[in-house]
Amino acid sequence: MKISGNWLKEFIPNIKINDKLTYNLTSLGLEVSSVVKHKGDLIIDIDMTPNRADCLSMLGIARDLSAVYNKKIIFPKIANLKITPSKKFINKIDKKICGSYGALVLHGVDNTIKTPNIIAERLNKCGISKVNFIVDILNYVMIEVGQPMHAFDLDKINRLINVRYAKANEKINALDGVKYTLNKNIPVIADDNKIQAIAGIIGGDYSSINLKTQNVIIESAFFTPTVIRKAAKLFRLQTDASYRFERGVDPCLNNIAAGRVLYLMKKYSNVKNYQYNLTTNKELIKKYNHVINVKYNFFDESLGVQISRNFIKKTFKLLEFNPISYNDKIRLTIPSHRFDIKIEQDLVEEIARVYGYDNFEPALPHNIFKINKDHSIFSENIINGLVSRGFNEIISFSFLPKNSQLSTNSISDIIKIKNPISEDKSELRASMVHSMIRAYKYNVSRQNTNIKIFEIGKIYNFVKPKKIKENNILSGIISGINAENNLKSDQENLSFLDLKGHLQRIIPNITFKPYKNIKHLNKFCQATLYQGKHTIGYCGEISQNLYSEYGINNNLYYFEIFTDSINNVIDTKYKKFSIYPKIKRDLTILVDDKIYVQDIIDIIGEKSFNYMINSKIRDIFYNKKEFGDNIKSITLEFIFQDCNSTLTDNTVNTEMDKILSLIKKHFNAQVRT
Amino acid sequence: MQKKYSSLISELREKLKDCNTTHDLVNIKSEYLGKNGYITNEFSKLRNAQESEKKKLGKELNILKSQAHDIILNTNIINNKTKERFVDVTLPGKNVCVGSRHPISITINEITKILESHGFTPVTGVEVENEYYNFEALNIPESHPARDMHDTFYVLEDKLLRTHTSSVQIHTMLNKSAPLKIMTPGKVYRCDSDPTHSPMFHQIEGLYIDKGINFCHLKGTLIAFIDEYFGKKMEIRFRPSYFPFTEPSAEIDIKFKGKWLEVLGCGMVHHNVLKNVNINPKQFSGFAFGLGIERLAMLKYGITDLRMFFENDISFLSQFERAE
Repeated sequence: MKISGNWLKEFIPNIKINDKLTYNLTSLGLEVSSVVKHKGDLIIDIDMTPNRADCLSMLGIARDLSAVYNKKIIFPKIANLKITPSKKFINKIDKKICGSYGALVLHGVDNTIKTPNIIAERLNKCGISKVNFIVDILNYVMIEVGQPMHAFDLDKINRLINVRYAKANEKINALDGVKYTLNKNIPVIADDNKIQAIAGIIGGDYSSINLKTQNVIIESAFFTPTVIRKAAKLFRLQTDASYRFERGVDPCLNNIAAGRVLYLMKKYSNVKNYQYNLTTNKELIKKYNHVINVKYNFFDESLGVQISRNFIKKTFKLLEFNPISYNDKIRLTIPSHRFDIKIEQDLVEEIARVYGYDNFEPALPHNIFKINKDHSIFSENIINGLVSRGFNEIISFSFLPKNSQLSTNSISDIIKIKNPISEDKSELRASMVHSMIRAYKYNVSRQNTNIKIFEIGKIYNFVKPKKIKENNILSGIISGINAENNLKSDQENLSFLDLKGHLQRIIPNITFKPYKNIKHLNKFCQATLYQGKHTIGYCGEISQNLYSEYGINNNLYYFEIFTDSINNVIDTKYKKFSIYPKIKRDLTILVDDKIYVQDIIDIIGEKSFNYMINSKIRDIFYNKKEFGDNIKSITLEFIFQDCNSTLTDNTVNTEMDKILSLIKKHFNAQVRT
Repeated sequence: MQKKYSSLISELREKLKDCNTTHDLVNIKSEYLGKNGYITNEFSKLRNAQESEKKKLGKELNILKSQAHDIILNTNIINNKTKERFVDVTLPGKNVCVGSRHPISITINEITKILESHGFTPVTGVEVENEYYNFEALNIPESHPARDMHDTFYVLEDKLLRTHTSSVQIHTMLNKSAPLKIMTPGKVYRCDSDPTHSPMFHQIEGLYIDKGINFCHLKGTLIAFIDEYFGKKMEIRFRPSYFPFTEPSAEIDIKFKGKWLEVLGCGMVHHNVLKNVNINPKQFSGFAFGLGIERLAMLKYGITDLRMFFENDISFLSQFERAE
């Protein structure tokens, strides 16, 4: 909200319009977002928080300032408004919509009068454009005291005013030139014939006033905030009136505002006579004036400093809370404009604001708290492992485009956003693979083709209709060459074994089992990942289908780790080792190409041969001419060692013979010499 | 010394000149000093020598032996492998590949480290949340104008993407009793998208509930945090604000290039919130705060477009190689 600094002087005489003023405003919680110098005045823009509806006026702002400047405010002059006993203009008022309806009726107004300069200028500074004399006066009073009002051309109103909900399909041509189709949630002002306004939001075109208007009904009413809010939201309409009504206007303000309008009309125009009709729900008004009793020391305890009783009392007096001290307490009557004050904690903020947040001495709490780290929280070690192996961490949106996951997930799994921001962010990711491929593709389009990326994030699935499960995932993708800064002769294309190597290094005790049921991976190149007996993820090459879906013609290797299943704790224990010499033996065999090397190693491992401390694969190669199709040559290496003495060749030979016959038996292997 | 002994030394020297592997050296050594080596044999011949000669010969042989020993020991083997050669030390090192953490993660880690030193324990929770935990429990009823500040994504009638991580605080307060001191980093979502707003962004919130916690503790903790995060005493503005779940509420601005920038919202936990999670406000009080990670990261690294964080361009990401 924009205000004029000089205008404030009418409420607080001699107040200096300077930096101190803007500091004080911000310090009170009326945050100054900008200050513009304008012909000896300051135009101050204030970001109003939604709770301070009372400050959407010069009066409200001045009232807050008065507590800091310790000066009582001067209230604008008001005509003594007499209520006309016969309710000639108001018929039925729906109490749910309207707590108080005032109708100020003026006859024979000359609306062609030029709006007085002071009013026009002030409105201009506050960002309100000139319309005509009557409307300008109403806008002026709205900015001045905070009451939105509306003027109807009396001659266009057929008999009496009603405040009610619209019926389905009733229509109105509003002042903004739009034709609105209404429903039963929309509050309206209507006469016998037609809808004349959407209550508290916008007037109708038909009964709007113009330069020729002579007789007017000026509506000064209190509308229920929630009702206005709902309706304004439905039409996505925000007007100066709806903005104030939906935040809440002081329910006792409408008579004051009407009195102020009458005063200005009399001062600046030919108006002499008036009628004023009023319908008020007294019960509602009573609710607005509640009382809170609070102990003085509650302020000290909450704020952590000693605050003098005098300061508290004086502050509440200036804020119009009518303070009365008794014993160790203070009794406060909450004024109707401060409906945001509900409990004693709210009163603490009032004192704190006026005391000045900057004036509190920072203090640290003394109690010591032990950090209680959840062991299930994913280990930073694994992440750091990836980073040190050249991976870049990415963060992708949890959203994906409409129907973009059908190749990987069933439609019933996928969670759709009911009100997406755009079609390309309209469903939640049900797996990470799309995020990864998209990040890859984006980078390729930016000429980055050597990619090693990972992300830690969630995937979201329906596990049953309406039952949602979130899983924490670490996933990554590699593609391109191993190290682009190497000399060309030292470069290699990344392969599945690079990916596997990374995972083996960063995840303790990880094992790989061949697999083929993951749809989005190449069925000849995929594995599930284990730690002991627990499945912790999977990895492999991207499937042919996904390659074509995304138009990719490079090899992409993907992994996905279920971070909640992983065990980061490595239990390191010292094992005794032998100091006697090791004997190494190589064995080269020919086997069918489909045989997994790990199966050979596993079978040897299960048998536990004497003195064998390690067995591993040294080499693999193919030679169609020599071995035939689908046959590979595997060289295995075995290491023998005894803990108590030096081994002899004979002992080792015996073991090697046993190993060989085992391999021959299980894998139909031939020894290659 | 006998002539044959001194020529033996020059013969040994000649041999060593041609010797360029360790293997050869070992052979030469055994040729002279081994079990059947020349010098060893000379020693055994000593037995047959005349008594008068014995002493003199023995002495000379010992000198010979130690000379030969020293010569062999001091021989530098120069073979192809160890020969000194020119290497261009400016060539690239092999397999250098430095990865990077995402600047958001780096920022979260920095913040959590500082908050841990103040005793805040990290807690995480779900992102798809029931409306109640995101709003009502936090004193934000349906009709509340504060809901305007939270343009919310819905996935089901009563399920939404959390608009703040405060929902995690509600779950934690319901599951654990006071006192407690927690922080909740994570993703949050709001229906907003432009250079300064993203539909997904990151927050970290803190909550401290204990006996006797007051407004000065809130201020003290947060100012200490900000100074630690920026590594110097910052010019700070602490001003009243409004959040439905705190009272009094405040915002902290820091002076950045001559302008006030809002970095943090906070306040004393609203009594209604405490009541909603069965904590007695007469016994316990507390403070809560929240801050946007992206904003801090943008300040720290001088990033001007929020969207950069989620484009995942390697050229952007790899700039944070050494940032941690």
